[in-house]
Amino acid sequence: MNTLKVALLLTVTALVTVNCKKKTDEPIVEDDFNKSDLLSNVATNIILPQYLAFQVELNQLSADYATFIGDQSTGNLTIVQDQLIDTYISWQNATTFEVGPAMNLGLRAAIGSFPTDTAQITVNAASGSYNLGSLSNASAIGLSAIEFMLFRQNELSYFSDNGYQQYGTDVIQKMQNEINQVVAQWQGGYKATFIASTGTESTSSFSRLVNEFNLDYELIKNAKVGIPIGKQSLGILRPEYIEARRSGIALQLIEAGVKQSKRLFNGNKLDGSTGIGFDDYLIALDKSALVNSINSKYDQILSAKNALSGTFEQNINTNLQGLDNLYLRMAEIVVMTKTDMPSAFGVLITYQDNDGD
Amino acid sequence: MIDKLKDFLSPFRQTSIAPLVIFRIIFGALMLFGTARFMLYGWVEDLYITPKFFFTYYGFDWVHPLNGNWMYLPFIVMLIASVGIIFGALYRYSATLFFICFTYVELLDKTNYLNHYYFVSLMAFILIFLPAHRYFSIDAYFRPQIAATKVSQWTIRILQFQLACVYIFAGVAKVQADWLIEAQPLKTWLQAHRDMPIFGKLLAQEFVAYIFSWFGCLYDLFIVFFLLSFKWRKFAYIAVVAFHLITWLLFPIGVFPWVMIFSTLIFFSPQFHEKILFKLTKVPFLPQLEPNILSPIYRKVTQFSLVAFVLFQLMIPLRFIAYPGNLFWNEEGFRFSWRVMLMHKQGLATFYVKDRNTQQTIEIINEDYLTDRQIDQMSTQPDMILQYAHHLSEVYADSTFHFGKKTVRLVNPSVHARIFVALNGRPSQLFINEQHDLTQFTYDLKHRTWIEPYKK
Repeated sequence: MNTLKVALLLTVTALVTVNCKKKTDEPIVEDDFNKSDLLSNVATNIILPQYLAFQVELNQLSADYATFIGDQSTGNLTIVQDQLIDTYISWQNATTFEVGPAMNLGLRAAIGSFPTDTAQITVNAASGSYNLGSLSNASAIGLSAIEFMLFRQNELSYFSDNGYQQYGTDVIQKMQNEINQVVAQWQGGYKATFIASTGTESTSSFSRLVNEFNLDYELIKNAKVGIPIGKQSLGILRPEYIEARRSGIALQLIEAGVKQSKRLFNGNKLDGSTGIGFDDYLIALDKSALVNSINSKYDQILSAKNALSGTFEQNINTNLQGLDNLYLRMAEIVVMTKTDMPSAFGVLITYQDNDGD
Repeated sequence: MIDKLKDFLSPFRQTSIAPLVIFRIIFGALMLFGTARFMLYGWVEDLYITPKFFFTYYGFDWVHPLNGNWMYLPFIVMLIASVGIIFGALYRYSATLFFICFTYVELLDKTNYLNHYYFVSLMAFILIFLPAHRYFSIDAYFRPQIAATKVSQWTIRILQFQLACVYIFAGVAKVQADWLIEAQPLKTWLQAHRDMPIFGKLLAQEFVAYIFSWFGCLYDLFIVFFLLSFKWRKFAYIAVVAFHLITWLLFPIGVFPWVMIFSTLIFFSPQFHEKILFKLTKVPFLPQLEPNILSPIYRKVTQFSLVAFVLFQLMIPLRFIAYPGNLFWNEEGFRFSWRVMLMHKQGLATFYVKDRNTQQTIEIINEDYLTDRQIDQMSTQPDMILQYAHHLSEVYADSTFHFGKKTVRLVNPSVHARIFVALNGRPSQLFINEQHDLTQFTYDLKHRTWIEPYKK
């Protein structure tokens, strides 16, 4: 908002207010909520720490992978496998906000795409020449590629090949480069830019955060749960679409994603300590009933997940009902978070002209 | 009084051409600006090249977009035609071309419907028939025989009438509980500016939303009458400028505020416009001596057309009366009615394509078929919901799917939708129940019985 606009608005509002004073018999309720406070909390206590946490895990993955390549013992394999799982779960906390540097880099697709293209990985590793940034390799990179390499059947037997080893190193390094860039930009000037962008336009940080919060949640619901259990395929099960299928951690990833979504909604840190989030804005708008509904829906989703034992794939085969129940619970919250909440905020979805009809 | 009114309305009373000339220049300039802005923002591509499916208007499903970058063609024509309108060069052709191109683009996809686009279409249509090029124009320079300083009064009154329609219908539409008693949707929209320097805190106050709502309603209802009064005109125009500047500052309504601010000058006296013309031309505005000769046929046709146009303009916004139920909820007879900034409606639409034999479904990811803007608009508008359902039914009819090793053939699937909508700050409620097979309903203008009733 430039000064000319502010000056104009000042004059005009003053005129209007003076002219209309007679009508103001409404009680004046002080409402101290600022969107910039919310963005500041989210940037300081959620986005940056969670990028940093993911960066630490990724660096550890890189180190453990190098150790494992140097000494391919089953002990070292287990260490790097465990680290991959930790990194994968940590990623769920860092993918909810594809704004600014992450958006420009396409971080979510670069790190979190699945299912992985196993044939392409084999081709790449064998040829030794590949551009990991190219479109044809879009499904042969990221955490799902490493997960496949570390958890496939007879995984150890493949690592004798230098090209195969190198491919894993390169994929991990690409991710490191990307998260390093994102972190550097957040620690540089982007944080201030992010916090200052509180406008109503669809490109403002606030609007983007709301829309990304929903987009990421819907990805969890549709891609991680819906597609494997046949929601988009006439009920035909598609276990090949299960995320991290070989390590069997899909349910943990779903749980981590839902918990992260809930934390972002409530403005909470990873340790659970509270801050200013969407919930506070809704409360400032007299919508505390909606906040309660959303939080209790999150809890219902998490208990539907906790009711499942075994892996996602085992449940597909023996307890589809349980996964179906999880999916239903996950679908129920969307109308609140994607319709009720943004409509209360007055967030715009598109950037073209609009006259409100 | 009666005589005055008769004089005021008498279509063929001769009056100064000056207001028409100024209007021509202003309208052309705004259209030039608006078209260039639309192109520079990349909206030709976003709205008319990127989408794979278009929501056509009832009766206009034969209107299709041009292939790929050819879509820029009508916009380039509009740019040229706008310049033609400004300078009065091949004016009738320019105005006609502008009207055709603009209306063609608008008819492509109702996703992009805006009241002010409809307003521009109507104004451009009217301009075709106005002799706005007979003074201070390239046409009059090269063909002095058409030059004139007097025109029939209807040419000005029809523009004033069209503006009056916009304001008064917009005002009447605001006389309802949501706007006046709940101050919605302004309460939602204004508080969103809470972080704005200096005013943010004020805009987040509820009473400010009430002031804006009541002031906006009274403004729309009565501004035309003040503009018509010589005594009040100056003050009224200050209000016009202030009102539209506020809307320009607070809402993403594009060039509309400027169109209204400048169009409203048509209410000013001929002398006012003659002064402006004098400043532009440096030539004193001398009224012609000989009157324009109007044939009886011309008078008859003009009179008949004017009556038809006016009736049409009065009836279209009122057609909602013919439909039962809540207008904002059902949106039957909502468009083309000057209902501006009246509602904040947001929806969540989940579509299911269902195999009639096995009852198994495909849950549709709307993003695979529509743009974000189309999804946003479709989710709350029943006619678009039906069009999209029919489109899905066409996409999935007679198709074979390979899921892993399994192959499924869909012959004649049914299409269902579960849609929730939140209107004007209320909690969302069920809008469309998935029990309905939307392929069973035809797309027509009859009342849609498959919309869930609105609960307060």
